[in-house]
Amino acid sequence: MTTPLTRRQFLQGMAAAAVITAWPGWMPRLAFAPPQTNPRGDALLVLFLRGAADALNMVVPHGEEAYYRARPTIGIARPDHTSAGEDSRVVDLDGFFGFHPALRPLLEPWQAGHLAIIHACGAPDDSRSHFKAMALMERGVEDERGPASGWVNRHLASYNTGNNSPIRAIGLGGGLPRSLYGAVPATAMRSIVDFHLSGDERRAAQMMTMLRGLHQTENELGQIGRETLGVIDTLSQLDPAAYIPRGGAVYPDSDFGYSLRQVAMLIKAEAGLEAAAIDLGGWDTHFGQGGSVGLMARLLDDLGQGLAAFHADMLDYMGQISVVVMSEFGRRVHENASLGTDHGHGTLMMMLGGHVTGGKILGNWPGLGDGLLFGPGDLAATTDYRDVLAELVRVRLNNTAVDQVFPSYQPIRQGFVY
Amino acid sequence: MPFSRREFLQLLGLGAAGAALSGCAPLYTRLAGGPVSLTAWPDWQAEPDYPRLNRVTFGPTLAERAAVQEIGFAAWLEEQLAYETIDDRPADLRLRPYDLIEQDADYLLMWDPEEVQRPFKQAALLRRVYSQRQVYEMAVHFWTDHFNIAITKGDVWALKPADERQVIRRHALGNFADLLLASATSPAMLYYLDNQANVKSWPNENYAREVMELHTLGVDAGYTQADVMALARILTGWSVKERWMWGQFTFDESVHDDDDKEWLGETFAGEGQGDGETAIRHLATHPQTGRFLAIKLIRRFLADWPERDAPELVAKTAAAFNQSHGDIRAMLRLVLLDGLAAWPGPLPPKFKRPAEFMASALRQLPVETDGGRPLQAELAAMGQADYEWPTPDGPPDVADAWLRNLLPRWRFAVKLAHNEYQGTRWRWSDALLDGLDSPAALLDQLSHLLLGGPLDENGRQALLSALTPAQSNDLSLAAAALTAGILAAPAFQWR
Repeated sequence: MTTPLTRRQFLQGMAAAAVITAWPGWMPRLAFAPPQTNPRGDALLVLFLRGAADALNMVVPHGEEAYYRARPTIGIARPDHTSAGEDSRVVDLDGFFGFHPALRPLLEPWQAGHLAIIHACGAPDDSRSHFKAMALMERGVEDERGPASGWVNRHLASYNTGNNSPIRAIGLGGGLPRSLYGAVPATAMRSIVDFHLSGDERRAAQMMTMLRGLHQTENELGQIGRETLGVIDTLSQLDPAAYIPRGGAVYPDSDFGYSLRQVAMLIKAEAGLEAAAIDLGGWDTHFGQGGSVGLMARLLDDLGQGLAAFHADMLDYMGQISVVVMSEFGRRVHENASLGTDHGHGTLMMMLGGHVTGGKILGNWPGLGDGLLFGPGDLAATTDYRDVLAELVRVRLNNTAVDQVFPSYQPIRQGFVY
Repeated sequence: MPFSRREFLQLLGLGAAGAALSGCAPLYTRLAGGPVSLTAWPDWQAEPDYPRLNRVTFGPTLAERAAVQEIGFAAWLEEQLAYETIDDRPADLRLRPYDLIEQDADYLLMWDPEEVQRPFKQAALLRRVYSQRQVYEMAVHFWTDHFNIAITKGDVWALKPADERQVIRRHALGNFADLLLASATSPAMLYYLDNQANVKSWPNENYAREVMELHTLGVDAGYTQADVMALARILTGWSVKERWMWGQFTFDESVHDDDDKEWLGETFAGEGQGDGETAIRHLATHPQTGRFLAIKLIRRFLADWPERDAPELVAKTAAAFNQSHGDIRAMLRLVLLDGLAAWPGPLPPKFKRPAEFMASALRQLPVETDGGRPLQAELAAMGQADYEWPTPDGPPDVADAWLRNLLPRWRFAVKLAHNEYQGTRWRWSDALLDGLDSPAALLDQLSHLLLGGPLDENGRQALLSALTPAQSNDLSLAAAALTAGILAAPAFQWR
């Protein structure tokens, strides 16, 4: 499945280039324009916050007295708390919920109606094991018996867009996230910038020839090798160094910012990207989580600035993009003695895109008062995460085979996206 | 045995002379038998044990292949399991320049973290490549993964070298209960999983959960969230010294919760640190632990999915755990002798993880390396930097997790074959080319060296047809290109 561009595609690309007068230098001179069998839906970007992010300090229920009782040291001060500086107070959203101050940059997409928050959602699994919860959630299954592949991959496998781009699905930043495991080719890469053989050009070319020959065999590794070679070929047509984000958007100087910037470029380049996944680690804040500043605040800085920059850069494309931010579960309502929080249950999801029911806190807030908590003192999960994702798959990705993406689950339509 | 009698006597002399010579790195290298280079091709003969040998080493060297041919795989395995009797001074000597990492944590803490991490990773890589105790080193790697600790968290980088020495290496083929208790009192582990912050006023559940889920029982063993919270309370006060003797284990009675706790159906109270020790021993000898470890050990050496592919072996290995009261060597003997050595037909596939892929290239070519930063950076690009897997589950041990990151391997193959890593060299005698009359003959010899047999016909054609006319006419020009091709070939990615 190496995909050298056909002469026809090349000419199509040239024609497109002629129409758009200022064809930026970083773009391939030819866009992927595969014959489509089904209309492609939004480009999907899944951000997974690994380690169980503390939803209650991301989007703070500042109207809950119980929140402040449970978190005397790491709680974020109310928006109207006059003795706290503005930078250490909740950024109010609707009089009851508000952003952690580090997420202030997200006000812009929020006010534009491009950002939705589904609070108190989660999975039925209550093992509070990171590894079990992540595996089940990324597979999109109820228990161990479900398919081993990931939900994103099953979506791609069950919805043929005729797109044979080698970068239909990529995992950026490290290994391939579990949600992308499966039959549809997906490639892990640290960065698109250096996705090629380095060193002497003639020697690299000889190695590429050898690699093509070595991976002709019809087995799994042969296939993956061919796909990888296809990705190298495709990306070699881009010049990421010359990419300039729109409107002066500034991505944070971090792995995350770097990855987002590359996803933005690939979408604009129409290189055939349908699904990308980026992992953000470090959210298992048992110790020293901190409040308005500290460990988690730094993670949120990166997240907020990155998403805000992506939104600004991709503003003209918002109608064709769906970003999901998720985590395997939430954290205990009550802080522990180490300025941290232990494993909890209910979490939150964020959705960024032009067709989300934005500027609202969605879902059913179960409350934090006496008798309302789940298990050992956790936020309850009132919305199954699959309700959110299934609606996204159905409405924004055009895929009706939701039962294949989330087997043995009957999702409830709630109007998260339109 | 790479020691000549003369070198052996020199070594004894060195010991007698004491520390006077200890700054003399070139002497270590000389005594270590290096530099290594290929001086003869392997004998062309059928090696039915090659695939098995490939599973229990980080890539079989010619010496190991010859030894197995001579005494048989089973006898060789028994030698390896009795690792204490294998002289490993050549590898020890290679590590001498990096003996900073033998120091206590409070001393290491005064150093720049990078100055400690680099030699620490070098030592890991060099042990894999140069140790004669290959089965033992594989067991060390297994337990390092099982009790994974990321040195990227806080000051863990200063604590982990002692954990590697006093927990993992000391008990790798010993008794699991000793290993688990050593880990439970290891400052690196307690710090990594926040137990130093586990105090009576607010217990921290992190270590308590993972010691059951990842180190012993496994996630579906039937324990509850209440059990996790109870074990956290039992382990309150298991901590790390802060000021004086920083980085040593301490039991802080003042923050220990000595009230009644119900854990796994039993009541614990009043014994202080003893309650925790009882709990840890209970976990270490639990039948569920035996089954969990059996599956992981079989996964390491034989098959990605042991419960599907080797259910009887899982049961027998778990039974050996129970009967021997946690003797790791007894379990491993079953896995290797009853499982691997006696496996009928082709072995279930095992994909080399990055550490194995790199070590096998370095061992089999063979390569003279210091294991320094350039190679460590490549391991990171491949996804398995030593001691840096962020989460306590450790790097996965199934093909699915690694298959889709081939490019860094290809890049490594090219750069290694062309000697482009500083601190890493492979060389051979051009006399090796004398008897060879064609690129095909050279390719076959290299395949036999690196794969234990010929490359498949499709692969042979792919490599030979890519050679330039100049390379085809001068074998010394073809050698690097063909070597790169074999190292990148699908066949070399499996073990």
